[in-house]
Amino acid sequence: MKLFASFFLCCGLLLTSAGAFAQSAAKAKGPATETLQLKTSAVCDMCKARLEKALAYEKGVQQAQLDVPSQVLTVTYRPDKTTPTALRTAVQQTGYDADDQTADARAYQRLPECCKKTNSVH
Amino acid sequence: MISFIRLRRVLTVAGLVLGGAARAQSPDASVAPVRGQVLDATTKAPVPGAVVRWLSTTTDATTTNTQGTFSLVRPAGSDNRLIINFLGYLADTVRAGGGYLRVPLRRSGELGEVKVEARAPSYSGLTPTNTQVITSRDLTKSACCNLAESFETNASVEVSTTDAVSGAKQIQLLGLDGAYSLLTVDNLPALRGLATPYRLNYLAGPWIEGIDIIKGMGSVVNGYESISGQVNIRLKEPEKAERLLLNAYGNDLGKFDVNLNLATRLTDKVSTTLLLHTDHLGRRADRNNDGFLDLPLATQYNAFNKWKYNSGRGFVTEIGLGALRETRQGGQLGFREDVPGPFYGTTQATNRYTGYAKTSYTWAGRPYQSLGLLLSATDHDFTSRYGRRTYDGTQRTSLATLLFQSIIGTTAHTYRAGLSLLHDDYREVYRTGFLYPTETPQQRFDREHRNRQEQVPGAFGEYTYQNARNLTVVTGLRLDRHNLYGWLLTPRLNVKYDAAKNTVLRLAAGRGFRVANPLAENTGMLVSSREFVISPNLRPEKAWNVGGSFTQYFNAFGRAATLITDYYHTEFQNQVVTDPYTATTQLLIGNLEPGGRSYSRSFQAEVQVEPVKGLQAKAAYKFLDVKTTYDGQLLPKVLTPRNRLFLNLAYATAFDKWRADLTVQGYGRRPLAHEPGSAGHQHGSDETTLPFSPRYALLNSQLTRAFKRWEVYAGVENLTNYRQANPIQGAYAPFGPDFDAAMIWGPVYGRLTYLGMRFTLP
Repeated sequence: MKLFASFFLCCGLLLTSAGAFAQSAAKAKGPATETLQLKTSAVCDMCKARLEKALAYEKGVQQAQLDVPSQVLTVTYRPDKTTPTALRTAVQQTGYDADDQTADARAYQRLPECCKKTNSVH
Repeated sequence: MISFIRLRRVLTVAGLVLGGAARAQSPDASVAPVRGQVLDATTKAPVPGAVVRWLSTTTDATTTNTQGTFSLVRPAGSDNRLIINFLGYLADTVRAGGGYLRVPLRRSGELGEVKVEARAPSYSGLTPTNTQVITSRDLTKSACCNLAESFETNASVEVSTTDAVSGAKQIQLLGLDGAYSLLTVDNLPALRGLATPYRLNYLAGPWIEGIDIIKGMGSVVNGYESISGQVNIRLKEPEKAERLLLNAYGNDLGKFDVNLNLATRLTDKVSTTLLLHTDHLGRRADRNNDGFLDLPLATQYNAFNKWKYNSGRGFVTEIGLGALRETRQGGQLGFREDVPGPFYGTTQATNRYTGYAKTSYTWAGRPYQSLGLLLSATDHDFTSRYGRRTYDGTQRTSLATLLFQSIIGTTAHTYRAGLSLLHDDYREVYRTGFLYPTETPQQRFDREHRNRQEQVPGAFGEYTYQNARNLTVVTGLRLDRHNLYGWLLTPRLNVKYDAAKNTVLRLAAGRGFRVANPLAENTGMLVSSREFVISPNLRPEKAWNVGGSFTQYFNAFGRAATLITDYYHTEFQNQVVTDPYTATTQLLIGNLEPGGRSYSRSFQAEVQVEPVKGLQAKAAYKFLDVKTTYDGQLLPKVLTPRNRLFLNLAYATAFDKWRADLTVQGYGRRPLAHEPGSAGHQHGSDETTLPFSPRYALLNSQLTRAFKRWEVYAGVENLTNYRQANPIQGAYAPFGPDFDAAMIWGPVYGRLTYLGMRFTLP
């Protein structure tokens, strides 16, 4: 019996975490947002996953989406929490160029070979 | 589906810059056949029937199958360009790197693209051995203070506590003690021999990049010792590790853990990482009120420094230096090391220094040919006390291996050959605390000292055949000359056959050999009134292991899923048998008796599915049949459960911001030995009269929240607060004849709550 009780407790734990995430998503619909489009040096789907994850952890970012063929990153953000400059820096620190600003050298070196900008978009 | 399974090769290469010099079992990219898929550039539809051939040779060519996929062995030489032709499309030339190729063929004018993807499933579809990979992400699923906890979310490896006082933990693979599996750190044998009892404490979780668990027979390159399998621990790589990783952990028993990893690239060619760990438990906890500490007081300082030099022209050197100091103190609450008084106590102090150097040279333009020299040396020194008994030891080990690898004609035939030299110097002193007035000083010296010097030069060769489609055969043979036990021949075989697109069959067979250290491997039994009776003429242990696995990759709920079943049989020709059954007041250690048998049969079935996006579910069932002949009776091995269940649910929200984890481990009944206190009672000596532990289940849970640089985690181990009722028999009189803390089958301290954080600078 005790075992079952704990099992449900754990399931509860799992659900709370899911709920917590749902909440943060719901908040997103509240205040006004702006959209920024950036040309990056991302070349593949791995870059896409990496960039979108990095932006998701930036303050004020509601959504980030990279279109691989055009290399354009579209960021929806809250202007009261962040600025386009901060977002560009975040892209650079992930190892990619942001418009005309080049990537942070160390972050770029850490990218796997297939994600470096010497590759063509694939 | 098959594509991403094969793509693991990309990662394998990344992790094995040292080329073939020190790889585990995985075929590295330089010798693996080139695989890929040919697609129509506009419709993305597969193109069957396209001709794929090498630019440099006209002989090796293949055509794509109905899925548009192909696989081609590599020719000798440095030209890695492939030509792909098909009627109605423009011919394309692509460079075959290490990864899976995806070649879109154009009907008109744009350039060909090559797509390299990578994803690592936890059961590799590539290696010829049955290999399971624990990634650093898996390692964050449990608190992972040290290596012992790393296996908590894994079904293949068991972690058990050796006794209720010292808190030492041991791993088991295939139902056999950890000593029968080879532990390697960065593919070099490590933590062998006298380091075995506490070795899982000697590597901190945050230092570890990943763990490969190989079940059954592995390669001959790493020596003759592995019998049940190999556990390879990959430490953080200097050039890829985070600049800074700080991890702090505390639990409600009062244990603290701090880890600091630093890494930097000094120049383009030189990089270094410094790994630091300390842990401390200073609070005396006795939750079950038996007068004994539930966990010993312990302090550890551990540091490791790794340097890597990569010339960029095929020359790679790696140097590692490690130092460790650990002290532990357990036993009765009143025990103090300096003033023991009338109390029972255990103490240990360990100093360990280790170093290695690995150098490899890969020929320019021939990525499949390399020469490596691996050197390692260790000094392990400890003193320990268990009540009246003392057990001190020193082990000095040095190992040198020279390894060459190349191909014969094409990469369909590869070989590795080399020489090795092992030097092992064991010095043990075991005192029971009793003096016999009748013996001479020389006799006492002989009784108390166990010294052994091993010098083992050896040679080995390994040949791998892989056709480009579905078959890999690895045959290995090594011959060693042991200074004490003569010539040793170790044959090994691994076969991997892809029966269908998503079905992999593997076979492993071979022989292992090792020299037992009866005291070090039974330190748990020292915390008992049982007297150690060690037979004077222990012979080395020899065993055959044969087994195989069946892996099926399939789609469930629209996502990738895996089913894996395996079966292994280990049959000992000789074993140093530890017999707790025959006499209740003694632990008899001797050779397997003539005409007796000792074997282990292990079956495991595991399924991994992702029923909802982000929710990974793993369920496993394991059946273990481990039996040995003790005094004419074939009996199950003490404390080994026959049935085991395992369930792991892991949920992660998008971008891993929240992660939740739940693990359930169910243990079947385990045979116990009769307590020393029950001497004089009439015990039958067959299986039906053995006492058994009850079945039970343990629940662990953890929740992690990730921020940009920070991660915070909290968790509970043993949620139901399940405890073994009387872990210590005869706790009221630890110097008396009834005392036994070694029959431990369940948790001692019950529920454990912890909180921790990680801070990372990438």
